[in-house]
Amino acid sequence: MAWSPSNSHIAVAGPGPVGGVLALHDIDKTFDGFKALQRASFIAEKGQVHALLGENGAGKSTLMNVACGLYGADAGRMLVDGEEVRLSGPRQAADLGIGMVHQHFRLVRPFSVVDNVVLTGQGEVAGKNYRRAVEIAAKAIVHHAAALGRTIDPFQRIDSLPVAEQQLVEVIRALVAGARILIFDEPTALLTDQEADRLLNTLRNLADMGSAVILITHKLTDVKRFADRVTVMRGGRTIASVDPASLSVAELTRMTVGDTAEVDDAGQRHYGRRRLEVIDLACTRADGTHAFSGVNFNVRSGEIYGIAGVSGNGQAELAETLMGLRSPNGGVIQLEDAGESLQNATPDRLRASGAAFVPADRYRYGLASGLPIADNFAIGGVINGHYGSWAWIRRRTMESDAATAVKDFDVQGIRSLNQKAALLSGGNAQKLVIAREFRTSPTIVVAQSPSRGLDVRATLAVHGRLGEARDRGAAVLLLSEDLDEILKLSDRVGVMSAGRLVAEFERPVDRQEIGRAMVAHA
Amino acid sequence: MFAFVLSWLASIPTFSLPYALAALGLIISERAGVLNLAAEGLMLVGALSAVGSILSFGVDPSGSLVAAAGAAAIVSLIFAVLTILLRVNQVIVGLAMVFFCQGLTSLLGEQLNWSNRVVSALPRPYLGWLGELPIVGRILTEQDVLMFAAVPLVACVFHVLFKTNIGLRLRSVGENPEAADAMGVGVLSTRFGAVVVGSALLGLAGAYISVGSARIWVDDMTSGRGWIAIALVIFSRWRPWRALGGALLFGGIEALIPKLAASGVRLPQYLVMMTPYLATLVVMIWMAAAKRNSPPDEPGALGRPYVREERR
Amino acid sequence: MHDMTNVGKSHQSDIAPVAKKRWYRGRLSVEVRREIGGWHQAAMLAGSVLMGLILSGCILVAAGVPATSLVQEMLYSTLLDATNLRTVLFQASPLILVGLSAAIAFQVRFWNLGIEGQMIFGGLGATFVSLFDLGPDYARLPLMALAAILAGTAWAVLPTLLKLKLNVNEIISTLLLNYVALDLLFHLVYGAWKDPKDGFPHSALYRASELLPVLASGISSALVIAAFATATLAYLTIWSRAGIYMRFIEANPSVARAVGIPVQRVILVVVLLSGALASLAGFVIVSGQEGRLTQSFFRGYGVSGVLIGFLARNNPIAAAAVAMLMGVLFVAGQNLQVFYSIPQAMVQLIQALIVICVASSDFLIRHRVSWVR
Repeated sequence: MAWSPSNSHIAVAGPGPVGGVLALHDIDKTFDGFKALQRASFIAEKGQVHALLGENGAGKSTLMNVACGLYGADAGRMLVDGEEVRLSGPRQAADLGIGMVHQHFRLVRPFSVVDNVVLTGQGEVAGKNYRRAVEIAAKAIVHHAAALGRTIDPFQRIDSLPVAEQQLVEVIRALVAGARILIFDEPTALLTDQEADRLLNTLRNLADMGSAVILITHKLTDVKRFADRVTVMRGGRTIASVDPASLSVAELTRMTVGDTAEVDDAGQRHYGRRRLEVIDLACTRADGTHAFSGVNFNVRSGEIYGIAGVSGNGQAELAETLMGLRSPNGGVIQLEDAGESLQNATPDRLRASGAAFVPADRYRYGLASGLPIADNFAIGGVINGHYGSWAWIRRRTMESDAATAVKDFDVQGIRSLNQKAALLSGGNAQKLVIAREFRTSPTIVVAQSPSRGLDVRATLAVHGRLGEARDRGAAVLLLSEDLDEILKLSDRVGVMSAGRLVAEFERPVDRQEIGRAMVAHA
Repeated sequence: MFAFVLSWLASIPTFSLPYALAALGLIISERAGVLNLAAEGLMLVGALSAVGSILSFGVDPSGSLVAAAGAAAIVSLIFAVLTILLRVNQVIVGLAMVFFCQGLTSLLGEQLNWSNRVVSALPRPYLGWLGELPIVGRILTEQDVLMFAAVPLVACVFHVLFKTNIGLRLRSVGENPEAADAMGVGVLSTRFGAVVVGSALLGLAGAYISVGSARIWVDDMTSGRGWIAIALVIFSRWRPWRALGGALLFGGIEALIPKLAASGVRLPQYLVMMTPYLATLVVMIWMAAAKRNSPPDEPGALGRPYVREERR
Repeated sequence: MHDMTNVGKSHQSDIAPVAKKRWYRGRLSVEVRREIGGWHQAAMLAGSVLMGLILSGCILVAAGVPATSLVQEMLYSTLLDATNLRTVLFQASPLILVGLSAAIAFQVRFWNLGIEGQMIFGGLGATFVSLFDLGPDYARLPLMALAAILAGTAWAVLPTLLKLKLNVNEIISTLLLNYVALDLLFHLVYGAWKDPKDGFPHSALYRASELLPVLASGISSALVIAAFATATLAYLTIWSRAGIYMRFIEANPSVARAVGIPVQRVILVVVLLSGALASLAGFVIVSGQEGRLTQSFFRGYGVSGVLIGFLARNNPIAAAAVAMLMGVLFVAGQNLQVFYSIPQAMVQLIQALIVICVASSDFLIRHRVSWVR
């Protein structure tokens, strides 16, 4: 029987307090008019891995931020061990034993592991002076790591640790602070398949040792493999709470997205000449560390070339170099139709040669959030003179073009073209970026994590546009940490690991092979 | 020659102390993430309050230092409320505060008849045999109580910042307020405290310029030392001991000017007065060029206001 | 380990309204607003300026100015008396120019606090032409203006390049250079350029051909220069390509670069323009007001310029309007000085107070504050 909010008063049998170790009932949360949560409810039991499943924007993180005291709920009740509580802040939540491992780690990067743990001032380090706290923390860190089957040096700086270990620090920090209820927000997003498996096993261990583990995720396979229970959220509401083993993947998908999402099938493809050629490209970061080197690949007309690899292996820097935002230390970038090599070219020169860019960080490289939508759309045309000379900008033409584009690319949530771009939701903002970039029918498209943070519908729209560009004959380069996205769209896949392009595969691509390539060279 | 060098060395602390104190105060607030551009104004407030407390309230010179620190701390509350609580742009508020303080001190100095009146000096401690030492003794006997307090003060700030829980929390707020908040550290209250304490030190620095060194109040007497102190903090990579070193360097340069003039060397007066500012500029350029390619030591969240419930 | 202290505080229904309205039940909720109404902003701005003026009025009354004559001095006699009005317009010209200077620099996120230094160099350039008798009589004035602009712009080049190439903080560099410019000025007016006739620290009087002409009804041609500058800048920001570039750079410099705007080049040109405007202001004062190079002709303009730029939210036309109001303030301040011995510093205080009030209202404009139980 599926659990629903109306019968939340039914006691759940088994060990642990009645009504679960952590219970949220009918939580409402609004952000300046936007309803993030509507009567959302959730019950976690000790010794269980309970998944909170939903697409991006469903409200999962928001609900859990309420649980750990970062957001205040507008209405609803929260109970810990059966007693009602009203949290005034994260400290109180931590006192109650609730710990959260966020998607963007809440670690102070220049500090050491020990300092980050001592900072909590709770659990085993509570009330001790600094020197004593450091001693206790160092011992506790080593102890907890060992209990989870891992090792870590307590005195290393966080920014010198790889991502998977930083995550471990977050877990250990919560444990040292005395957390018995552990919430993990999309923990596998930044990990390789292997690291993800190790982490999920760690979650299993934690549950077996008596904690209540809550896993926020949008990955159905993880839910099926590791969760004892799953609560599905959609549009800020909790839809159902069931045992994942009792449902098929298709049924779970339908609950999560509402209707089945269609995936288009790849037919036979014909590739043209090489539009983008990268030879021996290398780059060092500002602080002297090596970002990537010896990168060689090409992308043909009518092809999508995907570069797979988790973040931190150099793709971000590679994407920035290709977009003209970063200067490489060596190597050549060649765009067909351009007279000379373009590795040191500025973004406008690259665009003039037919390239278009869809950056990962929308509000850092994509849209100026404080400016109107019309301006954001038309800026490319302003720069290359399409909308007028230096002396006079043809605003009316700009605005009518923007209006047409908004309609064609289905950008929603617009009341007026003069409204600020910041008001667009993630999916619509991305559509606007694509509308702008594709205005000139580019011959080369570089897309970096284009569906990050987008819900299923918006993701499909974006994928559709990339496919259209490919079908029109453009050469599309797709860099993404989402292996599913890469596998779905790419005709060829390159794997990046530790700053090198270590392998290349042709369609049909084997996921296991890719995973092996990623770790073999780590 | 020897006598010249000795007298120059003996005068360095007088010039260095304001820089050292101001830099310490700025380090405390900047390590918490708040760029206190009102420094120049707060130093003026301290300078005026110190003189005013002696002239109108009969406070003795040592007590006037306390009055100065207190006055600057109180005025800094305006800055703190605006930038921390109301999250207004720190640059604009800092500048407005400097102009406000300049206008206010000018006005009060004039209206309350505190300008151009000499006050008594700060006491000098009893040194005993220390004062009899050959070279060092000569230098030591010229220094007043606050200068002897300088080194312990720097040590104290260093210890608190890097060896205590309070310091750890303060630095975490400056590096990554989101993380600190998630750890239960009160970001706003920590920043408030840092600004107020830092401003008290700034007031103390200003008081030294008026009561300790010049023994008089004159309109706008800090002459840009607040800005130089801000540059000094960047130069010292936000570390207290290095700030002391930098303060000695700048004080040394400034101390050279009157000594050269007194020794009869003919130099164009106003061109020579440019030296501290040019020196600061040179130092800033050198720092920027040298440190281009290494990781920043700057507190990660310096200058950014913090709101917990911000949603993009 | 489990803390039970919160248990007692609950057990009230959140659906039913709380009967007793104790202020500490609940907390202040602060959220960033998603959209900001134009009227709402304008109303808040006007309200806070008024607040600033009222606060200043209180300070003035406390300093001994009778309240009734305050209103009379500030408003009536300043605006309605012909001589005073002319003085206001006269005063407004350099204020408009420094306001524009600050506004465009701030528009590209460059905090040009070196306005006074650039003004000084403007004055130095113009005086140089006068002292060395360069050029024929009829071209003297334009030549002085040109020299002023070249000198002031050159002074602005160094901090700009330092910021663009080495990321040296421009707030400090421009401020430090102000002090350097000041010392250079003193060096010259107390030394080589001192007036031989009276030995005071100012240059010799300019010749008649070197003074800005006064036009019909006593209005100085300086106002024409200021109006021209305003019109040019307004055109630049509203209609030209440069305007869009500047708006993008202000909104988000990384996005501006990523979409292909030549950010560094734009910033360089804009800051040089800012320097040119400031030096023009210097020229207007020495040629139109003082008639010679003095040691304090630029005082207070740096502050005013920055504050005008801020209050006008970097908009050129608004900057001109605010500068006019600032002119009223200046003249009223002068009258207060004459009749009630209120020092010049008071004007600066009032300006700063107004900015502080306006800056505070910024918070209410950008955030929605509500009480949540």
